[in-house]
Amino acid sequence: MGKMYEVANRYNNYRDYTKEFTEVGRSIRRPDGPDKVKGSVRYTDDLTLPRMVYGKLLRSKHAHANIVKIDYSKALELEGVLAVITGEDCPIPYGIVPHNANEHALAVGKVRNWGEPVAAVAATTEEIAEKALELIEVEYEVLEALVDPREAVKRDDVRIHEDSPNNICYEGIQIYGDPEKALAEADYVLEQDYYSSYVNHGFIEPQSALADFNVATGKLHLYATCQVPHYTHQQLAKVLEMPLNKIRITVPLIGGGFGGKGVASQADFCASILSRKIGRPVKITYERSEVFATNNGRHPCYMKMKLGFDKTGKITACDFTNLMDGGAYAGWGIVVLFYTASMVHIPYMIPNVRFDGKRIYTNKPTCGAFRGLGGVQPRFAMEQMLDQAAAHFGMDPYEIRMLNAAESGYTAMSKMYIPHTEYKKCLTECVEKSGYKEKHGKLPFGKGIGLSGGYYISGTSYTLYLSYKPHTVATIKVDEENDVTVYCGATDIGQGVDMVMAQMAAETLGVKTEDVTVIPRDTSVSTFDLGTFASRLTFATGWAIRQAAEKINAELKPVAAGMLGIRGDEVEVQGGEFYNIYKPKQRVPWREVVSSYIQTNGPLSMTGQFTPPRRKGIQQGGNIGHSPTFGFSAQIAEVDVDLETGKINVVKITEAGDCGVAINPQSVEGQVHGSIQMGMGQALYEEMKIAPDGTFLNPSFHDYKLPTALDMPEIDANIVDAYDPSAPYGAKESGEGPIQPTIPAIFNAVYDAIGVRFTEMPLTPEKVLNAIKEQKAKGVF
Amino acid sequence: MNILSNFQYHAPKTKAEVLELLADIGDRSKMLAGGTDLIIMLKEKMIETENIINIGDVEELAGIKFTDEGVEIGACTKIADIENSTELVKDYNALVHAAGELGSYQVRTMATLGGNISHSSPAGETPTPLAALNASVVIESKRGTRVVKAEDFILGNRKNVLEKDEMLTKFVIPAPAANSATVYGYIGLRNAMEIDAVNMAVNVELEADKKTVKSVKLVMGSVSPKPIVSEAVPALLVGKELNEDLVEKIGEAAMSEAKPISDIRASAEYRKDVVGALARRLTKEAYELAMEA
Repeated sequence: MGKMYEVANRYNNYRDYTKEFTEVGRSIRRPDGPDKVKGSVRYTDDLTLPRMVYGKLLRSKHAHANIVKIDYSKALELEGVLAVITGEDCPIPYGIVPHNANEHALAVGKVRNWGEPVAAVAATTEEIAEKALELIEVEYEVLEALVDPREAVKRDDVRIHEDSPNNICYEGIQIYGDPEKALAEADYVLEQDYYSSYVNHGFIEPQSALADFNVATGKLHLYATCQVPHYTHQQLAKVLEMPLNKIRITVPLIGGGFGGKGVASQADFCASILSRKIGRPVKITYERSEVFATNNGRHPCYMKMKLGFDKTGKITACDFTNLMDGGAYAGWGIVVLFYTASMVHIPYMIPNVRFDGKRIYTNKPTCGAFRGLGGVQPRFAMEQMLDQAAAHFGMDPYEIRMLNAAESGYTAMSKMYIPHTEYKKCLTECVEKSGYKEKHGKLPFGKGIGLSGGYYISGTSYTLYLSYKPHTVATIKVDEENDVTVYCGATDIGQGVDMVMAQMAAETLGVKTEDVTVIPRDTSVSTFDLGTFASRLTFATGWAIRQAAEKINAELKPVAAGMLGIRGDEVEVQGGEFYNIYKPKQRVPWREVVSSYIQTNGPLSMTGQFTPPRRKGIQQGGNIGHSPTFGFSAQIAEVDVDLETGKINVVKITEAGDCGVAINPQSVEGQVHGSIQMGMGQALYEEMKIAPDGTFLNPSFHDYKLPTALDMPEIDANIVDAYDPSAPYGAKESGEGPIQPTIPAIFNAVYDAIGVRFTEMPLTPEKVLNAIKEQKAKGVF
Repeated sequence: MNILSNFQYHAPKTKAEVLELLADIGDRSKMLAGGTDLIIMLKEKMIETENIINIGDVEELAGIKFTDEGVEIGACTKIADIENSTELVKDYNALVHAAGELGSYQVRTMATLGGNISHSSPAGETPTPLAALNASVVIESKRGTRVVKAEDFILGNRKNVLEKDEMLTKFVIPAPAANSATVYGYIGLRNAMEIDAVNMAVNVELEADKKTVKSVKLVMGSVSPKPIVSEAVPALLVGKELNEDLVEKIGEAAMSEAKPISDIRASAEYRKDVVGALARRLTKEAYELAMEA
């Protein structure tokens, strides 16, 4: 490495970097776009291997039942059936959070939700596999199903998991300051119950797994729709009792994840076990109903929130009780529980906070990670209450938010530290752009406008299992044949991290993004990364890539300087050329420098790494929610309520977001549009409907209603001027912050339109029409 | 689900061949036109069949033909061809509107008009405008040809008047009367790809004074197993000029005639409420268009 250059880009050792970017900030079109539109992309289900066969899962029609007996002898007799497995073949439990792992690839002894798989077959065709499922005889002892967490928590007599009294998966209490005293002394106290609904991500590509066990080498190669290949790698090793180095996971292009692919799927395990058993590649692809049975979607929350204010409208305390419906298994549950706890500490300054939360098991498909997890639910409560408080104090909803908004450098009571925020700028910009002040409270009955804010983490500070290894590693290789190649295990699930990584590498290396190739993630090829969750990738990979790129520059710059005949520290690189910073016309092409370097020094590759800082002084579960920095968003929804049908038409959403520097503004805008679409879906349309006996009533897109393009409002997405000095290239998250304000903004707008506060999602036309009828009866209009 | 069940597949090329097949195996066959309902039902194992008769390639069963009396639309005419017909939209915009609201782009490209009414779903989009436009359904078999009114075709949920050896071959829609207009509307959760909570078509014909109602036909869909043609609305409106008071009464009358059910999409009460809203809006809209016609 070049000795005269200090590579000083460790997280805490930031030196002011040029903000005049050339590759960062380009709205480069996604290279995967045209192929996706043409259908020429190969997703996991598009792959075939020689001698490949098909796997199918037999799923329970009961939500809660003991498995008395499984007889698959007839299935095995069917011509073309190669193997059948049941829970006996996979007794070791797994789970994304290791100390709370209670899931199985196939049910062991008991099923706990509708659609839980009890057996898997491998056969030479899909049709034979399906026929074989019909030949498997399962004898169940049906048990009472619990589908409401409010009941489940009282029913110790019906334990969904024997080791969980009162069906409590996990519970936690956090007390910061003296909320009891603060509430007693508050000038104004607001208390309200809220319910957030049971929704699924609705990603387009169902889970798929293609496992190829090589009998000769004893190695397993799994192609899977997985946004956390590292954690899946670990769990496969555990369940299959194989060493990590015998397992390779390749992640083909993913058709959306949103957190739903943030856990290993039962298809991953069953395909692997079947392949090992028969020595042939096995592919399992889910039907949409199986995606719903797998779920991993948003936790419904029964929330009670109490906010105290002083006489100026400043929040003095928050008391937040949250009963979460976790569904059948643990999954991401503990993490989501404590995220809901931490999410009330930002973006407003609250000096006294109490959290009392429980995650409850019910006989429903398991809840897990879903875009903006843990934030959407309390935000739904708090942002409506702020509007109510503003009305009490005679303030504008914008003013009360500005009064309470945290600023850069703020440390919350939970020790969450905000190195940088432009939240106030977000609020102001969307208020100004939408004409909020001129419209709020002044529109005719039936038309309304609503404001809400929100934020999200930009990474996590901790691994899910105890480890001090780097969270992200990136290796950059520079050569004559490929220019720049970036290796990193960060998984592109459609959000575009490959593009973002290429832009960041190109920025520091001084080449065009188009000359950078990012190698798709593969656990045997890519460098280490924890996975796609917690909006961590831009920040984490950014630091790792920049460190690697600066190490490359430190090697190349002296060579360039020699070629230019100048001092090494007088060289910079941009636009594919090294140049003399004092005489910019003195230039030498980057490729020539690379050739010269390789011919004299040999091959060139460098590795960078990133691990976020930890925080001290945290309470139980309190480390969850800590993040190196945070992204912010404010939104204003304008609605038109049909007074005769109750149908809500969201006419326009004005958004202003602080994602720091946008690496790719077009991608940021895409994230904002997608977030609004998803938030709107939960606010108005979507809901998984479960019968009292646990039967899933609408496991298809026929009856589970995602918003269509024709339902979308006009969206005015704005990126506020921001630069986070603690972030690589000043950039932070934009994938999960923008979903936070959408739901409360719509609810606040509906209040402005018809004067009714709704506290439950979704806001169906029927609920709205009934409220309008009541308003009419009261003579409001 | 992937297995469609085991069946014999038949692909006749002419109407005569289809009728021959129906006479022979009609009692154990299902007709395949666009397949947008049939294939799903087979995959979901809601039905089984020994034979599938694909009439999708029978050219003489598709097409839009204008006549002196009106228009004839072949049973196998694609919904997309109706939706995009620049000729149909002039006089039959209610049908064109309904066609455009059916399913998704992909579904409309495959689905047929004959299939939509033969499937006889209570929530079907096209039966209501067909009835409001006074369409006739032509039914053929080896035994002969018969014609029924569109509103008499559907008997109940997935039940219709077709005998086992019969097929629906075309729709005959008369040219609209002078001073008349027909409009279509629906209420559902979303603005596209919706299974309607309620749909409705209203045909208003005015006297030569362009004010007095000569006839009115209000047809409601998705609020009973088969489309309902209102009897109360003509009784209220014929011989009168429309006014706000009458509009209110029309809403109430339609609500009293609707017989909706509660399901996972909407409650019966809500469906009744929106029947009123649709009846008021569409009658008013049709009346105003008829005044300008």
